[in-house]
Amino acid sequence: MPLNLRAAVGRAYPRVIGALREPSWTFFDVLLPLLGIAAYIYYYRALGAASSFEGFVVLGGAMTAFWLNVLWGMASQFYWEKEIGNLQLFLVSPMSRMALLAGMALGGMFSAGVRALSTLFLGLIIFDVHMTVEEPLFLAAVFLVTLIAIYGMGMMFASLFMLYGRDAWNISNLLQEPIYLVSGFYFPVRALGPWVSAAASIIPITLGLDAMRQLLFGEQALGLLPVATELVILCVLAVAFLVLARYALRYMERLGRKEGRLTLRWQ
Amino acid sequence: MAYALEVSALSRAFTGKQTVVALENVDLKVKEGELFGLLGPNGAGKTTLIKILSTLLLPTSGTAKVLGYDVDGEASKIRPLINMVSGGETSGYGLLTVRENLWMFSQFYGVPGSVARERIDGLLKAFGLEDKANAKVRTISTGQRQRMNIIRGFVTDPKLIFLDEPTLGLDVTTSRTIREYIRDWVRARDDRTLLLTTHYMREAEELCDRVAIIDRGTILACGPPAELKRRMNHASTFVMDTTSFDPAPLSAVRGVKGVSADEIESGKRVRLVLEDESAISDVISAVVSRGGRIVSLNKVEATLEDAFIEMVGRGLG
Amino acid sequence: MAVSAHLRTFRHAAWLGWQMESNWTRPWLFMIYSIARPIAATLILVVMFLVVKQGVANDPAMFAFTYLGSVFFMFVAQVMMGATMVIMEDREHYQTLKQLYIAPISIRVYIIGRAMSKLLLTSVSVVISIAFGILVLGLPLDLGTVDWPLFAAAMALGISCILAIGIALAGITFLTAKHSSGINEGIGGAFYLLCGTLFPLTVLPSWAQAVGMAIPLTYWLELVRRSLYPGSAMEAISGLGALGSGTIMLYLVVSTLAFLAASTLIFRYADRRARRAGKVDMTTSY
Repeated sequence: MPLNLRAAVGRAYPRVIGALREPSWTFFDVLLPLLGIAAYIYYYRALGAASSFEGFVVLGGAMTAFWLNVLWGMASQFYWEKEIGNLQLFLVSPMSRMALLAGMALGGMFSAGVRALSTLFLGLIIFDVHMTVEEPLFLAAVFLVTLIAIYGMGMMFASLFMLYGRDAWNISNLLQEPIYLVSGFYFPVRALGPWVSAAASIIPITLGLDAMRQLLFGEQALGLLPVATELVILCVLAVAFLVLARYALRYMERLGRKEGRLTLRWQ
Repeated sequence: MAYALEVSALSRAFTGKQTVVALENVDLKVKEGELFGLLGPNGAGKTTLIKILSTLLLPTSGTAKVLGYDVDGEASKIRPLINMVSGGETSGYGLLTVRENLWMFSQFYGVPGSVARERIDGLLKAFGLEDKANAKVRTISTGQRQRMNIIRGFVTDPKLIFLDEPTLGLDVTTSRTIREYIRDWVRARDDRTLLLTTHYMREAEELCDRVAIIDRGTILACGPPAELKRRMNHASTFVMDTTSFDPAPLSAVRGVKGVSADEIESGKRVRLVLEDESAISDVISAVVSRGGRIVSLNKVEATLEDAFIEMVGRGLG
Repeated sequence: MAVSAHLRTFRHAAWLGWQMESNWTRPWLFMIYSIARPIAATLILVVMFLVVKQGVANDPAMFAFTYLGSVFFMFVAQVMMGATMVIMEDREHYQTLKQLYIAPISIRVYIIGRAMSKLLLTSVSVVISIAFGILVLGLPLDLGTVDWPLFAAAMALGISCILAIGIALAGITFLTAKHSSGINEGIGGAFYLLCGTLFPLTVLPSWAQAVGMAIPLTYWLELVRRSLYPGSAMEAISGLGALGSGTIMLYLVVSTLAFLAASTLIFRYADRRARRAGKVDMTTSY
């Protein structure tokens, strides 16, 4: 097995095993996100919205698991690694930094996947939400490309965390609720108007969610662009973020070595 | 003779509100197969030098080659060949077992699974940690954790390893196990090199083929411990026991040309290195004038510590 | 322990909390972060409202109900989380909890002190959000008609209750691993759902309404809305219209006292369990 594949598996391992060894995660990660989507579903009901809106909430709620994993389980994880003294050992090793992050991503996808799936299924059952999957392959393609693109974006953010401490931590914070807003996690992003939704499309989850909404709810999804177009843009974003991440990681590591910030703790 | 490390005119400054010069114009060569010691007080620049050599930090000026590769432009060629362990580090993941942590780090170096398992088993045995192999890291003691860290460094079978204070705060038995392993590891193959920083003079004296004494970012002397001690032959070393006295004049004594002093026990026991024995009368006067009474005064054989005290002007304590 | 010692602990913890919150290398980022995140959370609800109702003017009372509920809920999310995160940060990140733990101070007072910076920042966010609501979104709020004494009393009790819950959760955090910071998310999510934050309790199933009625935050939010909108508009929506403000205040006082007592017991229990299990200086990252 080549070095970088071994490295990715090695880094994914503690994520998966760690999650399995702390059984409390099942309770928190599976049941509690439902509370958030329940609040939004009841809110839509109080407003008298069409039932498809409840489906948008369930879908958005499920996808938050991946977005949160990108922000906190991968990008900002470099900050934690630095604090506990692991980052310098990772950087001294010969593995590619992309392999390390891919390992974090794969490991994190395990718990994020469980959280997302449970949110989706429990959401569908408890709130009697109806979705129709007419083009499963298309849906799977959109989902996978969206994941690659957002994890690529996460890898790019990770380069910032290699150097910066709490500033980068706060950037992650900033990318939580504000992104839920502009990416339309709980409503059709078209509601934000053409300019905001076009600008928000640089964040891959925006078009990914929009495309999935269209594939699951048809006309009611009030899609922004045709799904095929969105998939093409997502493919471009995925490649662009992965390439950018590679350069950003190299650049930031060199800058960190120059400024002596790779081992700076308690920032 | 091939060099494992070649450092030339190496400087490193940290710029911030105030510029701190951590290393200044350092020249150093370490041969392949050497067990090399770096001695210096806190803040001398030892860790900065190790960070540069282990590719974590770039020099401000000068060059450093590790196993023939430049740390600036060829870091990716250096990394597969080296490893690094720091005393008191808290690396790894508390929820994983000792064995799992070691396996994980071995994977970052591409060590095949079966080879990694074999090495881990051998190293756990060598360091007396077999019974903790399946214990979660968060449950083991500080000494056990440090042994695990050291195993982590060796499990990738590096050609060059940096050990930064590997026995810091460990008990006598554990320290001895580590020292013995270090010595055997270097001697087992000609192409293995080890750079050690330590606070313990005896450790350096016992283990190292050569030692460099570093202070305030500058290398003050470099050579085999015996040679450094021989440089002391022109000087005399005394240990003086006194009744309690105000130790303040010792700072004045330290300023006298040819006299270095290190308090072994504040106000009661002093180790003195004198270039000229006649200066001893000044030291005695200084102690007596501050209310101390000489209980004993013994001339002793010079140690590496004496060489260190003379060069740095103070002890490590 | 003497009151003066508690005050000193409180003062120093509050100072430390502020230093940790505000001592960024880029103050502008700190300000954006402190304000943008909670405002964005509220704006999600605004857009959801507008997508369905097509304008604030089409249901101004419901808009005000949701907007105020969401804005004041920031106190629950931020202050309660601030208190809980003290244990997480000091144990796993700064690794200073063990030193604090053995110091002759009250950990609970320390936690409250540390949470003060969150309280201050959240207050700023709330004021800005309300101003934004009035000026930009057309939130129908007349500051001249606000019942300030009722508002002040409700806020004092509500914040006390939030801190009490935060301390109980901080105790539970002693026992849980890093990743279960989901505990904040979970309890916060439950309150968000069950306390009539975004929508009237009557939308919920009856069993959920009963749970909501047992949580003091339900009465706190109701009193905050009534104090800001004297008259019948809010009472008509909330589902608590049958109860007078005095009765609700009484419920709030009683339930807050009950939560304070429960918080004390939970913290003591968790503290003891943590010591027994050796979790006071645990680090669990992976």
